Amino acid sequence: MSIIIQEDMTVQKKLEVLSDAAKYDVACTSSGVDRSGGGSSGIGNSVACGICHTFSADGRCISLLKILMTNECIFDCKYCFNRASNDVLRATFTPEEICSLTIEFYRRNYIEGLFLSSGVLKTPDHTMELMCKTLRMLREVYQFNGYIHCKAVPGADPVLVEMTGWYADRMSVNLELPTADSLRMLAPNKTRKNILRPMKQIQIGRIENKGKAAFNRLPFIEEESALVLPDNYKNNIAAPASVLQDVQDIIAADSIKSSFGVIKAPSINRGFVPAGQSTQMIIGATPESDYQIMSVAEALYQKFDLKRVFYSAYISINEDNSLPAVNQGPPLLREHRLYQADWLLRFYGFQAAELLSESRPNFNVLMDPKCNWAIGHLEQFPVEVNKADYYTLLRVPGIGVKSAQRIVKARKTAILSFEDLKKMGVVLKRAIYFITCAGRMMYPVKIEENYITSMLLRVKEKLPFDMDASTAYKQLSLFDDMNFTAANAQIGSFL
Amino acid sequence: MNSKKVYYCEDSLEGIFSAVYDAWSDRNGHANNKICIISGEDLGDMELFTEYIYVKNSEEKIGKVMKAIYNKISEEAYELVCGASCSCDITRGDAIYRFLIIGFSMGSGVVDCLYDKNVMKIFELNRNVSNEAHHFKGFLRFQELKEGILFAKIAPKNDIVRLLAPHFSDRLSQENFIIYDESRNTAIIHRMADQWFYTNADLLDLEKIKEMTEKEQNIDNLWKAFFNSVSIKERENKGLQRNNLPLRFRGNMPEFR
Repeated sequence: MSIIIQEDMTVQKKLEVLSDAAKYDVACTSSGVDRSGGGSSGIGNSVACGICHTFSADGRCISLLKILMTNECIFDCKYCFNRASNDVLRATFTPEEICSLTIEFYRRNYIEGLFLSSGVLKTPDHTMELMCKTLRMLREVYQFNGYIHCKAVPGADPVLVEMTGWYADRMSVNLELPTADSLRMLAPNKTRKNILRPMKQIQIGRIENKGKAAFNRLPFIEEESALVLPDNYKNNIAAPASVLQDVQDIIAADSIKSSFGVIKAPSINRGFVPAGQSTQMIIGATPESDYQIMSVAEALYQKFDLKRVFYSAYISINEDNSLPAVNQGPPLLREHRLYQADWLLRFYGFQAAELLSESRPNFNVLMDPKCNWAIGHLEQFPVEVNKADYYTLLRVPGIGVKSAQRIVKARKTAILSFEDLKKMGVVLKRAIYFITCAGRMMYPVKIEENYITSMLLRVKEKLPFDMDASTAYKQLSLFDDMNFTAANAQIGSFL
Repeated sequence: MNSKKVYYCEDSLEGIFSAVYDAWSDRNGHANNKICIISGEDLGDMELFTEYIYVKNSEEKIGKVMKAIYNKISEEAYELVCGASCSCDITRGDAIYRFLIIGFSMGSGVVDCLYDKNVMKIFELNRNVSNEAHHFKGFLRFQELKEGILFAKIAPKNDIVRLLAPHFSDRLSQENFIIYDESRNTAIIHRMADQWFYTNADLLDLEKIKEMTEKEQNIDNLWKAFFNSVSIKERENKGLQRNNLPLRFRGNMPEFR
């Protein structure tokens, strides 16, 4: 192990090293909390919908000053750039440096706030303490009232996690990899337990914080009914057998019944992690199927009340025989399909088991998950635009949240026709195969799987990458060992 | 048969309201009337057999139209009209007129009639204006002048500086700042711990922005360093970057200079 530590590094050099090291963290959102400015003192406010301040050359939003406290690390996670066994330039910010960078960037409207993550310096406790100290200084000395996202270091003392939670808007603990097996293989210093425990603690802390003083906590059990799903969920988990254990781990973490609860809230009480928590996992480094990944994400949403689960296409940084060889670049299309499906879970009322199954464990790369679902469930179509309820409308390919809301609003005063839908800005390219207006379809359409599939594939999909068919095929071959070919064979025959 | 009439009005909400009042009380038939906003020298193509009327602003007419929208339609409709008036669409005057015709006949329900093209038009103008305002909440950049004042220059398509003012006044309440709209030569001025105001920018000394202090240069460099190193090479995607951050915003952003 060799660590290069340069003394007297300039702030600029540190910033280069520690933002470069932080760039693989996916989340840069600043959403989830509305808070007005401090009024007579301080600087900053927070906007619930989030604000993007610029976009980097990879097209990702930059909203927060995303940096590591330090990239020194005692852990040796195989996929990580900063792992202990890598020979890279190491640097550590002082809390003062981070505070002053945040404030100066914020005043110029470069950023919405701070996203502080870190390598593990000396011990998890020591690292968490440094991060907590930084946040506290930023809030209390610099009177910063803008957005702060802070990572909880797995293995850090719950007291430190709790203390940090009073200064952060959002906290996140990285799940790192979808299953405990993968974690054991690629992140030998981290355990599933050490990841799920602070997650649970933050969730409970948030519940307890709703309207209650820190020292006058209600036992968690009283609030539990609002939290857990109906009992039958536990007996009836629709997860693939291969991740059943992982999903059960997540459910079992429910038995932790309290956050720590010894810390007094700071004098300016912004609430305990008011913007909620998120997590992220790397996809494509380990052999989990999309079905396994979505089942884990679903369990996290349901049991931990997470705001977001982020998926990060695996980027090959380190050479290691336990890592896959990825020659064609990160699996971006797969990542995109997972995000689309994630959206369906959170806003469209879908369940993972509706979208995928043991026999079809991966998303169709050629078609978005909702189209793919609709084609498999043609018996539920067509739906009548003037009658179908909001959630049924949401299940129509091509109709999103905005369109569904507009339809529900507009049909109060009129019976809608296809012409009306067009004027309202509802895109019909995909929807025409699935809806009727006043009992009629727009064109005579056969409700037949092969026909609709071939029609839908003619609609050019807007992908977030400069991706043409040829790159899509490359990605397709990348997934071959994951049984994509079989899943797509039928569709391929129509191309 | 009634003749066609075009009402030319000043480029402001007040101007549009005055024209709406005149067009309405003329009893010429709404279909024969048209409201045009005078912007610069260009008055568009003149047509034969059409009467051109130059509307003068009148406090009384403005007040009456405002009150009528509030009382006979709704507060929501009034806000939609105000939003639409900030748009850069040259037909916004007439669009507001058409919207009000429907609004006065059907009352508060008008805001649900998204299938009507005149109602949808007002919603589209509003969406365009609020989207651009939202973009500038993120893409606007301040530069600190020697005196400690934060100065931002923007060139928005729509007239949105007044929409940005409450956001930045709340966020930077302890700062002195100026947001300057270079395409309209207007500005928002905010004094530390005080209210903001909107003004013509004739008196601003724009030469001051060109002097960059050493501290400012240094922070500028730090920002650029961050901006460049936070991007992932393996995922580079300039097309996506351009979709998310169109070129027209970049002129006043230091990371693209």
